[in-house]
Amino acid sequence: MNLHVIGANLVVKLMSVYREKTAMFFTIAFPIILILVFGTIFMSQDNVSFHLCVQDLDQTNLSAQSIKTLELDGKFKMTKVDPAISAAQYVRESKVDLVLVIPKGYERSLLQRTMLGDPNASVTITYIYDPSSSSVLTKMQILNAVIAGINQKMSGTPPFIRSAKTSILTKKYRFIEFFIPGIIAMAVMTLSLFGTVNLNTELRQKGIIRKLSTTPITRTDWILSDILYQFILAVISTIAMLVVSYAVFNVSLHINAWLFAFILLDVFAFVGIGMILTRFAKEAQSAAAAANAISFPMMFLSGSFFPIELMPGFLQTIARILPLYYVNEGLRAAMVFEDNMAALRDSAVIGFFAAVVFILGIMATKWEEGQ
Amino acid sequence: MTKATEYVIEVDKLTKRYGDLLAVNDISFTVSKGEVFALLGPNGAGKTTTVEIIDTIRRLTSGKVTLLGMDVMKKKHDIVRRIGVLPQGFSSFDRITVRETLQYYSRLFRCMNTDIDGLIDLVNLKDKTREQYKNLSGGLRQRLGIAIALVNDPEVVFLDEPTTGLDPRARREVWEVLQGLKKKGKTVFLTTHYMEEAELLADRVAIISKGKIIAMGSPGDLIENNTNYLVLTLQSANEKAFEIVRKMGFKPVLDNHKDIKVRVEHTDDVQKILNAIKDAGALYVGLDVRKPNLEEVFLKLTGEALLTAPAGGRGAE
Repeated sequence: MNLHVIGANLVVKLMSVYREKTAMFFTIAFPIILILVFGTIFMSQDNVSFHLCVQDLDQTNLSAQSIKTLELDGKFKMTKVDPAISAAQYVRESKVDLVLVIPKGYERSLLQRTMLGDPNASVTITYIYDPSSSSVLTKMQILNAVIAGINQKMSGTPPFIRSAKTSILTKKYRFIEFFIPGIIAMAVMTLSLFGTVNLNTELRQKGIIRKLSTTPITRTDWILSDILYQFILAVISTIAMLVVSYAVFNVSLHINAWLFAFILLDVFAFVGIGMILTRFAKEAQSAAAAANAISFPMMFLSGSFFPIELMPGFLQTIARILPLYYVNEGLRAAMVFEDNMAALRDSAVIGFFAAVVFILGIMATKWEEGQ
Repeated sequence: MTKATEYVIEVDKLTKRYGDLLAVNDISFTVSKGEVFALLGPNGAGKTTTVEIIDTIRRLTSGKVTLLGMDVMKKKHDIVRRIGVLPQGFSSFDRITVRETLQYYSRLFRCMNTDIDGLIDLVNLKDKTREQYKNLSGGLRQRLGIAIALVNDPEVVFLDEPTTGLDPRARREVWEVLQGLKKKGKTVFLTTHYMEEAELLADRVAIISKGKIIAMGSPGDLIENNTNYLVLTLQSANEKAFEIVRKMGFKPVLDNHKDIKVRVEHTDDVQKILNAIKDAGALYVGLDVRKPNLEEVFLKLTGEALLTAPAGGRGAE
């Protein structure tokens, strides 16, 4: 290993990418676009509220108060429907999926029950709904829970079963905060894998590798300079992703040495894989196709975008043999849960994998021709 | 003086196979220190395979190649520090300037004292030092490639088809650079399929065809030993002149649709032809009498024209 040679290669690669502004821009922009798109989707899921149309046929103080109560629950944004029109027609014409109808006589029945203690006094609230809507059942379940709560309160007896929530985290985290480490892992993988494959197949096709084979540079020097180069790009890209995440979504994540350790291991692993692919793919296009074949399943199966627990059992088993899974888990352990032991465990797995593919990458790199 | 120091390159019974294809077939030759040696042959003859085995890019199938006293199969790491190579179809990093490229390669060789400006002067790229590689023309790129091959002040320089694909002007510019190397006393191993290039630059030429060396020597010796005639060219001659020469028993050929070329064994024959043309009132604009060139030597030895001989190799020749 020759630091002088590694440094010379690094400088040339960095100057090349710096001068190719478009490639540099998209390298950094792609993960940021993903964060902005998915972050916006997840942000609305964190503060989920449904649109609910209410038709108050009673038009009394108590019916209005009940509607207010639903609104204050925070789960619904209300739209009042004119009592003079047909609720069913309103659902069809206004493209809404649910109208809650408060019947005439609501106040009278409520007073009969609360003031006079008449146990037979009751009202029926009607849901006029469009069953083709995917979210209408969720809305009705939430409404049922709210109504059950009101009924229980009116019964005057305290509930027998209560529930209490205790988060395993010391702090409440939003989904976006679980998502960012996954995107960092995925972006670093993509950068390293495609960066290595594209650069090396291009240099091989142009004959630059052949020229380099007549200089004192070794395969190890070449791969290490590639790893260092991809690591610098990965750090720049990660910093850009974190800046956007903090600025736009006000995330709360722990930035520590583990972050850089996992980025480095991610780079080592996927530069190694990239070197192996470059060796066996004859042309740039087939190398890129092979890189796609590896990165796409990895991206979707290893839990970068969503927890693997959402997947069927056999896919979860597959996920656990993918190297990116351990980068995702390790980064989340370090950045979200502050669990150093878990991070250490995951880093050991990905570290072992990275060492193996790095050695295979060196062996696969073809310096001499026609052997 | 030992044998290893007498010859900079020793090739002994070198053979290279690609599967069933025999690219280089049991060739042997030596190159002395300070010599410019050209391997001349058509595309597919085995030139690039041979040079790439000697300069350690490829591995041989059998035989032995010694470069600077070291076995190329065993001492690659030591050899590459002492040689400079311009591979066939040389290319470099698109967005790196001429000066930066030379600095990069000198750092790979750990040559802290490389005279970058001197190299730039040598290949005449002084006004292009800040130009990125992608903006250079073919001729400028080859000149940069030659400069790169010299960053480590090599003892032997390998140039694999340094002027292929260049227009005549760019080719002449590269030749000027190569003549500069010759003056500096560098040992140069050159491959080419341009006979003018070999004739102009080389001290010794090996003619290779279908993986075999078929003749070797100085350009003058090759011509002298393989031809015993002169070539008379009657420039822009008319049909009547052609007929007269033919009727005299010679075998004239029409070159470029206007010149008549005819082989003659003695200078007396030239005078006879000119007199006959004059007497008959036939016309020609100018005339040229010269010895045959390497192209004709190659034609005689192989029965094939140098530039159009069929390719027999794959990828590299």
